[in-house]
Amino acid sequence: MKSNDNYTQMDENKFEKSISELEKSHDLVCLFCAQQGKRFVLYYIFEKGKQLLMMTKHLTGTTATSIAAQFPSACWYEREIRDGFGIEFDGLQDRRPLLLHEPYPDGFHPLLKSFKNQKIHTKKDVIDSYPFMPITGEGIYHIPVGPVHAGIIEPGHFRFSVIGETIFNLEIRVFYKHRGIEKLAEGKQPRECIAIAEAISGDESVANAVAFCMAMEKISEITVSARAMGLRTILLELERIYSHLGDLAGMIIDVAYPVGASAFFILREDIFQLNELLTDSRFMRGMMDIGGLKRDIEQDKLRQAGEFLTTFVQRFKKAVEAVQVPSVIDRLDNTGIVKRELVRPLHLTGPIARAAGVAIDTRRDHPYGDYSKVPIRLGEKGDVLSRFEVKTAEISDAVAIIRQVIASLPLAERRAVLPIKDGDACSLVEAARGQTMHWVSIKKGVIDRYKVRTASFCNWRAIEHAVLGNIVPDFPLINKSMNLSYAGTDL
Amino acid sequence: MKALSNILTKKVTRDEEFECLGIKLRKDIDCIFGRSLQLRELDTGSDNATEIELVNLTTPYYDIERFGVTFVASPRHADGLIVTGAITHNMAIAAKKTYEAMPSPKIVIALGDDACGTGIFKEGYAVIGSASDILPVDVKIPGNPPSPKEILAGILAVLETIKKKKSQQHLHS
Repeated sequence: MKSNDNYTQMDENKFEKSISELEKSHDLVCLFCAQQGKRFVLYYIFEKGKQLLMMTKHLTGTTATSIAAQFPSACWYEREIRDGFGIEFDGLQDRRPLLLHEPYPDGFHPLLKSFKNQKIHTKKDVIDSYPFMPITGEGIYHIPVGPVHAGIIEPGHFRFSVIGETIFNLEIRVFYKHRGIEKLAEGKQPRECIAIAEAISGDESVANAVAFCMAMEKISEITVSARAMGLRTILLELERIYSHLGDLAGMIIDVAYPVGASAFFILREDIFQLNELLTDSRFMRGMMDIGGLKRDIEQDKLRQAGEFLTTFVQRFKKAVEAVQVPSVIDRLDNTGIVKRELVRPLHLTGPIARAAGVAIDTRRDHPYGDYSKVPIRLGEKGDVLSRFEVKTAEISDAVAIIRQVIASLPLAERRAVLPIKDGDACSLVEAARGQTMHWVSIKKGVIDRYKVRTASFCNWRAIEHAVLGNIVPDFPLINKSMNLSYAGTDL
Repeated sequence: MKALSNILTKKVTRDEEFECLGIKLRKDIDCIFGRSLQLRELDTGSDNATEIELVNLTTPYYDIERFGVTFVASPRHADGLIVTGAITHNMAIAAKKTYEAMPSPKIVIALGDDACGTGIFKEGYAVIGSASDILPVDVKIPGNPPSPKEILAGILAVLETIKKKKSQQHLHS
């Protein structure tokens, strides 16, 4: 099948040698599997600065060689492929199921083409029996938290191993919300899949819809008009603003300063209402289309948005000033440090990576949309305070980007109408939480395989490391400073 | 103090319709529960947009606590459960345990299209179905996601039903 990206087919004999060479220079963006007829193909997507290196490996059977020793982030991908396709990885240490929890029947692999998506019979009367990593020693006790948490928040399980108040180890188990998104997309018309992309993660509706449409446009060789590109950029940046505002408010709430948080919450509500004015949806849903946008946005509404953002900047500045008090800063400073050395091996992405001092941003590294200049905001320590500061700066930058796009937005068709072709393509978008990858394969006009890897999927591992040596009461704060999406991970 | 005055100067302009619904809700809660309605949120497979709108209800713009609604940390403290999302196989056990942990009598509200059974996740291997497939749902609040005002109106609808039942029982006794 025709691919719209350049893949190098990996040679089995040289596989281990080339992987250990890549380990020195490249990040693993994603590893996934697709079935072609009766055979399986593994796709390895690597990144080195602004360069992507895409490789495939055609398997002869149902076994492959693990690369988790060289690329630690591969562990979750290989476990995911094991669940989805039943492929075994030689050398993979962790063989626990990832997506499919205890109720699923043994030997069930939903992404195999032989399985037609339908309701299944699960095991009856199962009990939670997931083997967490055993952590033992004098004075160590365990705090199991979740999947149902205390706040209005998504479900996941946190297994803390604690000495006194200090966290000695944390293991996170997610995928409770596994809804079978990738399988659900298979066989669907590409346009039907936009709603699926929007449902991956509510507060990343625009980013995921844009990423899906970009992959489709690459496959079908459609050029999006400058106007549609500009409007997409505006919506993507509005999403970043409300997402980051929620994180800032959450961090301030978690240091017990709700008065300080309230200003961020009010600004955030104003952005939700602005979203509704522009798109009739508080989450800006139903706007994206393959080739551009489903609806245009009237110039008058854009003018109103521009005016609103002028006053927003002043109010936001005051809200940030109001939390610059020692009792707040003291809690954020030096808490939940993500070490810079972890960014590459775990492919940590977005504000978490930038706050740790690593200058990566998909908007600059793999350009799309209407971004003429994206300032990269870097932190130094990688602590909660650095993430607070990076997100604060990125809100101001997003406002500047939107105002600039509005000022120079040309009048043009909202959508290019061209036929959809067969093929496959990968797209990358910088969502509020970081780099998001979509890979779509179209066969006979319908979706044959849809692979999604959101920023959260990579960034969960950052929390497991950031909490070490911190006290349990600081966990909510550290967690909120990253604010990962469970829905976007669990799919 | 100077820092605080930065953010305390601007008053929030509120939505009139929302305020009217809220006042009605306050009266119903007084009549049925005496003081407050305590709700526990349970996400069984949402896309997180419904959670965001629930959180928005608690923020200063809407501030639902003014009307007597509190979101509580434990099902053991709750009068009602708000279920969001389709019911995934992976969440089914936790969902049932959460429901069972609530003291009776208890209310169940299905919030959002997926919890109501009209969303895109009703099919497929990974979901059992919607909230009413495993729990006794009292009211459905559809939407993708429902807005804060729609959620408030939905909660009010449950209380109106309870109030009616209560007054009928009163007449019969």
